[in-house]
Amino acid sequence: MPQKRRPNPLRAAFTGPHDIGRTPPGWALMGLILLGFLLYPATASAFSATNVAYYLLNIPMALGLSLLWGYGGILSFGQVAFFAVAGYVYGVVAGNMTADPTLGSILGILAGLGAAGLLALIFGYFIFYARVAAWIVPILTLVLALLLSTFLGLTAGSAWKVGDVALGGYNGMNIPSLQIGNFIFQDYAFYYLTVATVVLCFIGLRIRVNSHRGQVLIALREDPLRTELLGYDVRLEQLVAFVIAAVLSGISGLLYVTWGNYITPSVTSLAQASLPVIWVAVGGRDSLFAVMILTFLLNQLTYVLSSAGNQYALIITGVLLVAVMLFAPEGLIPRLIELGRKALRLKEAT
Amino acid sequence: MPDPAKTILHAIGLQKRFGGVVAARDVDFALTEGELRCVIGPNGAGKSTFFALLAGIQPPDAGRIELEGEDITRLKPFQRVRKGLGLTFQTNRTFHAMTLRQNLDTAGRGGEEPAPFRAALTAFGLDRGLDRPVTALAHHERQWLEICMALRGRPSVLLLDEPTAGMSPVETRRTSDVLRELNSGGLSIIVVEHDIAFVRATAQMVTVLHQGAIFAEGTMAEITAREDVRAIYLGKVREETA
Ligand SMILES: Nc1ncnc2c1ncn2[C@@H]1O[C@H](COP(=O)(O)OP(=O)(O)O)[C@@H](O)[C@H]1O
Ligand SMILES: [Mg+2]
Repeated sequence: MPQKRRPNPLRAAFTGPHDIGRTPPGWALMGLILLGFLLYPATASAFSATNVAYYLLNIPMALGLSLLWGYGGILSFGQVAFFAVAGYVYGVVAGNMTADPTLGSILGILAGLGAAGLLALIFGYFIFYARVAAWIVPILTLVLALLLSTFLGLTAGSAWKVGDVALGGYNGMNIPSLQIGNFIFQDYAFYYLTVATVVLCFIGLRIRVNSHRGQVLIALREDPLRTELLGYDVRLEQLVAFVIAAVLSGISGLLYVTWGNYITPSVTSLAQASLPVIWVAVGGRDSLFAVMILTFLLNQLTYVLSSAGNQYALIITGVLLVAVMLFAPEGLIPRLIELGRKALRLKEAT
Repeated sequence: MPDPAKTILHAIGLQKRFGGVVAARDVDFALTEGELRCVIGPNGAGKSTFFALLAGIQPPDAGRIELEGEDITRLKPFQRVRKGLGLTFQTNRTFHAMTLRQNLDTAGRGGEEPAPFRAALTAFGLDRGLDRPVTALAHHERQWLEICMALRGRPSVLLLDEPTAGMSPVETRRTSDVLRELNSGGLSIIVVEHDIAFVRATAQMVTVLHQGAIFAEGTMAEITAREDVRAIYLGKVREETA
């Protein structure tokens, strides 16, 4: 029998071929990193933990783009649009339900993610079912993000009030925290919520890319026509990946607005739109693990630089992108691992 | 068991133009169940276009295609594949970034392995080393792998576009043996081929395409006896050696 039965999905997530870290050293590293994050609050102030949560909260969006672009070959510059939609919709729903914050939080989450997914479904339907050429997709998605940013910028004034909540144009919109009963997710609680969300998104996507559907996504990155002629509806497969990536952006958007209690149209500006692409490209786009690590590190770098009054954060990130694309086009982490393996082999040889 | 009275794949009046070139001209074609047909014709005769029309990669300008009596003319390629068409391309299109196993898994659509697939995989000697990358395979093995991928999806009709291109005589012979073995198990097959030795060894019936139209149809003996067919082919040989 040439084929073994597929292992169970969770097992496949940690042993499957489609990411680095599928052997004991990789698991040990993941375990250590996770342990570090779980223990970190014991040594850190609530303020520091909240900052670290901020470096983490873009990871779901980056992982979604890794699935879509790194695994599926579909480059989107518009992931921030779904981030913004989820954030704004959450703000409007939760902001109108301050009398019942628990229900407001839950409905806000559902509505926010639902809106992000629905926008992706409609927009993606037109892109993929019209079979536009692959190189146009980044442009169309970028236009979506910029149109949304422009539109949100026009929502100043009392005409743009939804119930009690004013969208606020470029002044932005205030947004309530997540709250269940009397428990408000802030400080350490928000930190742990973010860590848990990131872990779940990572494992969920590892299951996905190592499943049959993930294999199909990788196949259509390499040759869409060949994939179609094996009996797959390529448009549908692409649309599903697009919607998953959008909902993951939405998760980051929700974490962002409940972290800072605030959102402005700048989250979907040109500069912001390019950032997820940079994190994913620098990390190594077809490795979820690499993308997760690099997204954290680059967010930390940007935050530290800009809060130290450095205006060059974006330029430094951009230079890093160019350097990585020149010297390690497959991504920084896959290159480091390759170099590490080579060094080990050299040591063994001598 | 195949029913030789039943037409499994039927093309009626297929037309296709590319600009000034008529790549399919009033093509009427019927494949009976369990048949192994070879389609021959000089370069540019429209053989690959004929397959592209059957598979839905190109829409016909006119005409109709039926698979097991059902009109599939308006179906998308993936729907035709699910209804029983299996196809390989003239240029090898296995997934190069994947292992053999991943290629075959992708081709399987999550279904069980059909017996003809397993038989072919073994006959081609590809059943060992399934975790090798495709890039580790020799050219002819990639061609064989692609045939196995098409078989993995349980086709009722297999369309192979020049499967022995670039193969040695021994490999070509082996390909012919396996195809005839699959066919004797009941699979309906159409093979586009250049290699006359292969066609002689393989085909029951031969269709000759020329300038997009069906020029002749019959057994290999009938076809080779025809002066006009030889003329097309001799013309082709002269072009190629020129
Ligand atoms: N996609 C296409 N666009 C334009 N012309 C094409 C296309 N496909 C095939 N043709 C033309 O149609 C004719 C038949 O080509 P083809 O079917 O590939 O022939 P064969 O496979 O018999 O060598 C040729 O003249 C070829 O140039
Ligand atoms: Mg051809």
